[in-house]
Amino acid sequence: MRQLLALTSSDLLQRMRDKSVLIFALLVPLALMTVFNLVFGAADDLEIDPVTVVISAPADDDLAQALTGVVRALDGTDELDVTVVETDGSAGRRQVRDGDAALALVVPAGFGEAARAGEPVTVDAVRGDEAGIGADIVLSVVDGVLDQVASGAVTARAGLAEGVAPADIGALVEQATSGGPAYDVETGQASDEQLGAGAALVAGQAGLFLLFTVSFGVTGLLIDRESGTLARLRSMPIPGWVIVAAKALVSFVLGVVATGVLLTVGSYLFDADFGSVPAVAVLVLCAAAAGTSVMFLVVRVARTSEQAGIVTSIVALVLGIGGGAFFPVSATGALSGVLDLNPVAALLRGLGTTSGGGGLTDIGPPVAIMLGFAVVMLLVSRLVPDRGVLS
Amino acid sequence: MRNALTIAGAELRLFLRDRSNLFFVFVFPLLLVLMIGLQFGEGATSGRVAVSGGESSLQSGLVERLEADDVVVSDPAWDDALALLARGRLDVAVRVDAAAAAAYEAGEAVTLEVVRGPLGDAQVVEQDVRVAVEALRSERSRVLALETRGVPTDRAQEALATAEGEVSAPRLEVTSVDRLSQEFEGMGQFEFGAAGQLLLFVFLACLGGSATLIQARRLGVVSRMLAGPVAAEELVAGQVLGRWAIGLFQGAYLMVASSLLFGVGWGSVPLALLVLLLFSLVAAGAAILLGTLLENEGAAAGAGIGAGLVLAALGGSMFPLELFPDTMRTISRLTPHSWAYEALADVQRRGAGFVEVLPELGVLAAMAAVLVTLGSWSLRRSLARAM
Repeated sequence: MRQLLALTSSDLLQRMRDKSVLIFALLVPLALMTVFNLVFGAADDLEIDPVTVVISAPADDDLAQALTGVVRALDGTDELDVTVVETDGSAGRRQVRDGDAALALVVPAGFGEAARAGEPVTVDAVRGDEAGIGADIVLSVVDGVLDQVASGAVTARAGLAEGVAPADIGALVEQATSGGPAYDVETGQASDEQLGAGAALVAGQAGLFLLFTVSFGVTGLLIDRESGTLARLRSMPIPGWVIVAAKALVSFVLGVVATGVLLTVGSYLFDADFGSVPAVAVLVLCAAAAGTSVMFLVVRVARTSEQAGIVTSIVALVLGIGGGAFFPVSATGALSGVLDLNPVAALLRGLGTTSGGGGLTDIGPPVAIMLGFAVVMLLVSRLVPDRGVLS
Repeated sequence: MRNALTIAGAELRLFLRDRSNLFFVFVFPLLLVLMIGLQFGEGATSGRVAVSGGESSLQSGLVERLEADDVVVSDPAWDDALALLARGRLDVAVRVDAAAAAAYEAGEAVTLEVVRGPLGDAQVVEQDVRVAVEALRSERSRVLALETRGVPTDRAQEALATAEGEVSAPRLEVTSVDRLSQEFEGMGQFEFGAAGQLLLFVFLACLGGSATLIQARRLGVVSRMLAGPVAAEELVAGQVLGRWAIGLFQGAYLMVASSLLFGVGWGSVPLALLVLLLFSLVAAGAAILLGTLLENEGAAAGAGIGAGLVLAALGGSMFPLELFPDTMRTISRLTPHSWAYEALADVQRRGAGFVEVLPELGVLAAMAAVLVTLGSWSLRRSLARAM
């Protein structure tokens, strides 16, 4: 035990003197967090800007007027702020070009008649400079209204074909488009386990660089071999496993400290709240253990410190990107399940739970995934033929 | 000059001989181009929706409608859908419970629960879902309307299908005066990823070499070379040329591979190469400077990767410059990446000629001149210093 502690502390001291730990574990991730936050922070802003829609619609066309009415009715629904200005065609386009309006809709003369008869007719939309999500929503709604009009025309034609009296067609279309059963879409309760934009950035970078940080212990072992220190250590009455365990301990301690510092500093700088401190601490310990376990595998396959550096970079980047360190990876079903079995994804998931108010009892699945990952890595590292540093 | 070229050739050979570089030079950048293209590119999906609930005609009808709109639809259990939503893997989740499915079958009122994810576009995707639901409703109610007029269900459906083929629906045609859409016009799915990764990896490959320069000094390779008939100027020129060759190699490889594998167009190839030439020279100068200012390989590797990533993120290689907030866009002008990005975007997307990209090329040339001069001076100074 005394030997283990002595080896660990001397190594930790050496790593502290080595500026690379400081650079990789703290400076680079903090710099990246800052840049990403400045760049993505504004882009992820969910505020929907007010939309001014200029509509030119023939006044004597009831269908065109109905379309205007639908757009007008969007104001105040679903966080939308829609102002409708009615004007003639060219003025609308000009206003959009001048930046006075986000969107112009030009409904052509004879629109209602053509649409009812099922003849081709086109509503022109001009989307303005920097028209945002609000304009997209208005366009989607207009598209829906046009679909409905088409549906009415289809019903009318089918009704005539099936012998419905022409005088009844108006009522039939009315019943088909606005009558019938109501279909409601209710907004349900979202899960509160989601990280905000800033928090996701901090957690993602902390998870990614944890995997780089834990590699320093192992690289240290290979450097020791290259410099002859390992041979000298092995000539002393120290069991082989103590030397390896000391390096693993170095990795683990560096990982825990660096991740802890990154999460603390990050949450302070980027206004993120990860919730319960004991639960976050457990997550960090488990993530560092999972990260360190990969290093046992690396030490079995890498022959030189350079090879170890490359293998760990590959592992870290693949696990980090797959786990969503930069952006959430679109995945459902089996692929989503596979992506979840990765310590970075599990750490992000766990931090999502704690930031949503979860405590120690709620982080079971991510903790199990990280510890399971560690166990599997340790088992695999026992099974892989040893051609690495201690062979 | 021959000495300098020999040194440069040796540097490039060393770079290529390093097996570790195989992955990072040849495979990894292309993987990123692929991922970025799939995630954000033009052909990327226009939404990810989960429609939870067992098999029912309401569920399959909804899925069909959404898929016709290019939305990617999956059917996880409701709790899983909520979890996926929270983690940004879905945009919208729709719950089709047994009551809704039964009501749909019976032609009665249907209530669906919809939850929207936290990401930016989710609101638009939710609107798509509403449109799909409304379309289903109108499909159902027009059959019901015909039924009340005494038309049997199957005949009503048949007549509606026939009418559908005869009627042309009013179309919505969207044109854009949007500066942003115009700037991105002409950009294929993988163009942004390819240009961004090109700049990122050319710079990284060069900066990564700063560690080898430190190693060469520490192991005494440099002093032994100077003992031979090699002038210090030739050694300095060789080092700069070597880094430059590595950057050019990495860039040219990415241009060729991305256009062969992903069909990325680079616009005028000579102009794109000129951008690459100047940008690599900037990177070479930076690498020499870094390799002479630091004296520890580990620190140099860390600083190289760190600076490479941060500069690339600031310079628009990870997120389009066009979408940067104004202040950040101004700050990004300090990086060579942003100038090269603008030049490549002009050449690739807007078919710009030499004169149009001259300002960007000028700034890159000035940056290259400053960094190469500083790097060479620092390298010469370090030759005299013991390590």
